Amino acid sequence: MVKYFQNIWITLTTLLKGMGITLVHMLKIKRDNVTLQYPEEKWPRPERNIGFDHDNYNVIRSRLHVDMDDCIGCLKCERACPVDCIKIDTVKVPSRGEDIKEIGHVGVTSNGTRKAMVVTRFDIDMTECCYCNLCVYPCPEECIYMTGGPNAKKHPIDYEFSEYDRSELVYRFAKQGSKDGIERIMAEQEAED
Amino acid sequence: MTVDNLYNWLMGFFPGITESPILLIIAILVPCLALFLFIALYALVAIYGELKVSSFMQDRVGPMGQGVGLHAGKWGLLQPVADALKLLTKEDLIPEKADKTLFIMAPFMIFIGAFIAFVAIPFGETLIIADLNIGIFYLLAVGSLAVIALILAGWSSNNKWSLYGGMRSAAQIISYEIPAGVSIVIVIMLTGTLNMQDIIKYQDGGLFNWLIFANPFTFIAFFIYFISGIAETNRTPFDIPEAESEIVGGFHTEYSGMRFAFFFLSEYANMFVVSGIASTGFLGGWQSPISGYFNTPSWGVFWMLSKIMFLVFVMMWFRWTFPRLRVDQLMNVCWKVFLPIGLLNIFGVGIWTLIFG
Amino acid sequence: MGVVHGQEMVLNIGPQHPSTHGVLRLQVKTDGEIISEIKPFIGYLHRCFEKHCENVTYEQVIPFTDRCDYLASMANNFGYVVAMEELMEIKVPERVEYIRVIMAELQRIASHLLALGTFGLDVGAFTPFLYMFRDRERILDMFEMTCGARLLYNYMWVGGLSHDLPIGFVESAFRFLDYFEPKIEEYNNILTYNKIFIERTADVGVMPADVAISYGVSGPNLRGSGVKWDIRKDEPYSIYDRFDFDVPVGIGEKGNLGDCWDRFNVRLTEMGESIKILRQALTQIPKNGDVHQTIPKKIRPPKGSIYKRTETPRGDLGFYIISDGSPIPNRLKMRSPAFTALSVLDEIGRGWMLSDVIAILGSLDIVLGEIDR
Repeated sequence: MVKYFQNIWITLTTLLKGMGITLVHMLKIKRDNVTLQYPEEKWPRPERNIGFDHDNYNVIRSRLHVDMDDCIGCLKCERACPVDCIKIDTVKVPSRGEDIKEIGHVGVTSNGTRKAMVVTRFDIDMTECCYCNLCVYPCPEECIYMTGGPNAKKHPIDYEFSEYDRSELVYRFAKQGSKDGIERIMAEQEAED
Repeated sequence: MTVDNLYNWLMGFFPGITESPILLIIAILVPCLALFLFIALYALVAIYGELKVSSFMQDRVGPMGQGVGLHAGKWGLLQPVADALKLLTKEDLIPEKADKTLFIMAPFMIFIGAFIAFVAIPFGETLIIADLNIGIFYLLAVGSLAVIALILAGWSSNNKWSLYGGMRSAAQIISYEIPAGVSIVIVIMLTGTLNMQDIIKYQDGGLFNWLIFANPFTFIAFFIYFISGIAETNRTPFDIPEAESEIVGGFHTEYSGMRFAFFFLSEYANMFVVSGIASTGFLGGWQSPISGYFNTPSWGVFWMLSKIMFLVFVMMWFRWTFPRLRVDQLMNVCWKVFLPIGLLNIFGVGIWTLIFG
Repeated sequence: MGVVHGQEMVLNIGPQHPSTHGVLRLQVKTDGEIISEIKPFIGYLHRCFEKHCENVTYEQVIPFTDRCDYLASMANNFGYVVAMEELMEIKVPERVEYIRVIMAELQRIASHLLALGTFGLDVGAFTPFLYMFRDRERILDMFEMTCGARLLYNYMWVGGLSHDLPIGFVESAFRFLDYFEPKIEEYNNILTYNKIFIERTADVGVMPADVAISYGVSGPNLRGSGVKWDIRKDEPYSIYDRFDFDVPVGIGEKGNLGDCWDRFNVRLTEMGESIKILRQALTQIPKNGDVHQTIPKKIRPPKGSIYKRTETPRGDLGFYIISDGSPIPNRLKMRSPAFTALSVLDEIGRGWMLSDVIAILGSLDIVLGEIDR
């Protein structure tokens, strides 16, 4: 009998304790609120910031971007990708390290490497990308990177790139017409020889 | 009361006639229509309240909006309207193997059960649609109509989850009728009437004349009634008929669109009815808490509504704090705790009135 | 009065069901509310992890280990790299070890928070779930700060880490711990010692120690049955032998030993122990050190095989790797703790009610990504 009433008493007290917690949270919603009104407010927000400076942000995982002028077509990123979402085609240039104006090919990278290849296709399928960052490390010219964060100077952050069509998420970085252009040039050169 | 007044007022336009069934029907239909609009409006407010109460308790802000466009208005005020519109325009699916007649009937039945209960709730001294001399008895009787609708819904959906929900609700609602009834018996014992208005008038004269504070037994009886009422409305911690983490949606698994909206609406309407009975029986109905002040009829409506809304808030508070009970534990609480204590209460109130009354 | 014998009803819980924690199908035989048989069907999330690993290089396996137990990716990374380093006999710098322990313990807290929250959700308590998500979010913020990703990190590499800690990480971790420690009390008040919750979980789904051991259950589920077994303590890997922490075990406080409440409480106390480890690690961590120092240029382990197990939030995670000297693993087998936890469900869930089976499933804290792989 004592246990019966003890049980009721424990039930009442523990339930009231729980109700107290929710009530306090409800009344102090101004202090406790953690919601961000997403399109208007974006993270990070000062009061939710857990103490990092944007410049100290070591790394970022967002959309992949390639600076085509720096790409030498070494295929290291393609090989590093665990899900094979990077697809690169290259064609050998007639003379190494020289610009080809017709197709917008830059001969020397910003690091001073003379290019031996024209990249005719550099597709990154962001629907397949697993954001593992493995392609970024092997790049000798640091031309493939994730946007924003420490790379914000090179490309502003872009993590909102939803599209209505899946095919729009395949990013084609190679310069337009470079495939046809380089083939034509090569054919001309062969004809000259 | 209201129907009689309206009828007499309408009769006043036709001095020659002594009796007119048409005018009587009009006098009945007009308040019913008003009541329907009131329920719809109340449901919108309650849904908004539930959204906000739940989100504030969970450290969120709930529906919010800045400016115009696709946002839910200032502070998300348009959210319940958007919800209602969504439910209205949604495709109405009836499962192929369902028992169509019963499937279509169930949501209306549950809503009728909630709707006709509103008729006997006193909103003010004269503001009651039908001042029945057996008002509280009537409310208890129509309150159990819901169980038929829930079993119908559970059975006719031809879905295993729905069947579970229907069977659970049958056991639950019928059981909890008993402690609720037993607690109401105490009110009837003390007031000596079944009429809602007379019960309220008995509690005249301020906070301490309310039945909840009449003696320790009525204090317990109020809680037994209120918690049994929550169980009858299928709210957490007693929401086992719809327990979404166990039996998906229970009896309303297969319902969509407007039919689902009726289940939703009647849940909120039932909350209102239970709170209405609780505040009539124990919290003095439209009586002001301070004797002699704020006692005009319009204040009466305010007191009644605020008491009801407070109890509705407590129900939401329960919902967003507690886990759910299991089926057998639910029965244990009913038969092994509420019923014995409720019966003891009747005895206690009797003794108390003999000694102190 | 004779006893009425009804037919048993076969009920499919899942694959689309709110509380199967992913895509799991349970075929249960029910007699009214009572469950007489549970048959789990898995494979809805199968992604050929082990076979896939035979086609990618060793460093490319790490993003796939992330996706096995996606709620404790750091712990999975940790298990894999520890096994690889033992195979290749790499000794990583002190700072790397400390960072790994910090990350793994933060991940343990995050994973337990989610496990406890969803368990609360399974028994109908909505609000604690969101409180726990709120706090888990802060841990994810710290992970994002460190490696940019919030869920699937690819942070620990064979022989090192992908990044060093950012400036101010240690301070913000301390700030988080100070914020988080009192929250455990709040969880206790709102959920653990709530009478309804105790009624729902105590004495339900009792898993005796011998059953747990014979099924190979590990981690908090095993400790909930009163077996003091924690690989961090009993077979220390990395630098876990340096830290002072307890291994909480279930004692049957509210019911029988090894019930759902014990498993819940073990997880809750384990978060406190993780906080202890974190405080020690964050104070002892060496200030300097190159986290890339010992990363091999090319990962080509010598011929041979290795089996190494580590303690993830879900239990005993083992990696069995056979190397044939090439940069691609010959065979990689993962021993998943959640798989064994699911296999014991039939044994401990029989005879309970439908609601209890949901609670038991929640208390076992399975992750389908790890079961199906």
